[in-house]
Amino acid sequence: MLDRPHLQRVKGEARVALGRAGLRDLRQAGSAKAMLPRVDGAEPEVVFLNTAGGVTAGDRLDYALALGPGARAVGATQTAERAYRAPDGRGRIETLLTVGAGAHLDWLPQETILFEGAGLDRVTEVELAEGATFLGVDTLVLGRAAHGETLRDVRLEDRRRVTRGGVPLHEEHLSLDAGALADPAALGGARALATLVLIAPDAADRLAGLRAALPAPSVRAAVSAWEGRLVARLAAPDPAPLRRALISAIVALRGTPMPRVWQTDD
Amino acid sequence: MATDARWATPMNTDLLRLTQWLSPAFPVSGYAYSHGLETAMAEGRVRNGAEVARWVRAVIERGAGPLDAWAIRHVIGGGDPEEVAATLRARAGCAERWQEMRDQGAAFCATTNAMGEPPLADLPLPVALGLRARGMAAETVVLLYLQAFAAQMVSAATRFLPLGQAEAQTLLRDLHPFLMTTAARDDPLPPGSAAMVAELDAMAHETLQPRIFRT
Repeated sequence: MLDRPHLQRVKGEARVALGRAGLRDLRQAGSAKAMLPRVDGAEPEVVFLNTAGGVTAGDRLDYALALGPGARAVGATQTAERAYRAPDGRGRIETLLTVGAGAHLDWLPQETILFEGAGLDRVTEVELAEGATFLGVDTLVLGRAAHGETLRDVRLEDRRRVTRGGVPLHEEHLSLDAGALADPAALGGARALATLVLIAPDAADRLAGLRAALPAPSVRAAVSAWEGRLVARLAAPDPAPLRRALISAIVALRGTPMPRVWQTDD
Repeated sequence: MATDARWATPMNTDLLRLTQWLSPAFPVSGYAYSHGLETAMAEGRVRNGAEVARWVRAVIERGAGPLDAWAIRHVIGGGDPEEVAATLRARAGCAERWQEMRDQGAAFCATTNAMGEPPLADLPLPVALGLRARGMAAETVVLLYLQAFAAQMVSAATRFLPLGQAEAQTLLRDLHPFLMTTAARDDPLPPGSAAMVAELDAMAHETLQPRIFRT
């Protein structure tokens, strides 16, 4: 793929709204696309794609997925997102997920790969209405594994927030720079990190099942549940075992196969 | 900060109140919390003074340290305590992280309430401290809070590892520059974290057996 920053700035937005009866609205512009593949299961899938393949300084992508009251859907990305070297700034990716009353969203994007020198601001906002539930994952790969790349310098601000009625229920904010990458006590040699978050009244009941699904070779994983949230964190020196462990965890929680876009080799 | 007239005034008891609140003798049961360090020690990843210092430094520089510092500063500066508390609660990475700040905060509120301070409902420790310290120099409050926080983790290490008292005090002293750097930060928004190892340690502590610390 592209090894160097491309000079043409990437802009794109893709916004999808689904109701209980299906698609209500789809708007897309620039290099962001959204697709609704035909699926065997009962729940529709919405797959987002950045046709530019990645982001660099000055790029801006906006994704939005809105579920109406009572709707259920799976959101995913077609492939890994790439944050290329961005010597003169940062790219920005914003994702807004709104989940209507009593609705449920499984947000299962594939990994984001940070290249050496990447600069990325990412904001993922999840707004839940009353009675809405949410499962979300996020995977960050530090450097191109195939190139044996060890990151020394990136600038990442990655904010993820789940709110209900404006009240924050869960927040993650990963902030990486050269200092953090150089500190073995910060990342512990991990080159792949994943977080899984379930916001649901029965989140604590899922704790034992998720713990049982997670032990995996070469992956450090831990799970906690409290106050209606279930959180799992995974870290590994290599992305492939982490991806397998994350898939096991997601399958254990959902009880259904992964979306087709995930069913590739690893 | 050192030149702040508040601290030079003999009649001003701010510094005394602050050091009393942040003393290990103040009944918030600080000795019972390791912030997840117990997991790292039990698993043999933190075995000596140098490794304790690295683990604690990561927390102070890139983990709970900067976030707590932001919370204290923001509340001292007039920020809404309930909003700051909600942010800390949402950003608590696991059940025991929330327990640690919630329970110490509740004990801090209860004790200071009983001492005749204006009554506070339970708030996470950095928020409660920020409220009590309104009017004091924020950087000094944060600096002493971070020292107490680091001392609490180092103290946990002395009860787990063969770490002598002088060595423990030396490594705490050697952390001073990092406490200064974090205390000097004035983040307008809640800062992020990169202390993933400590996050995982705190989370894994839930299932650690046997365990001598609450977190």
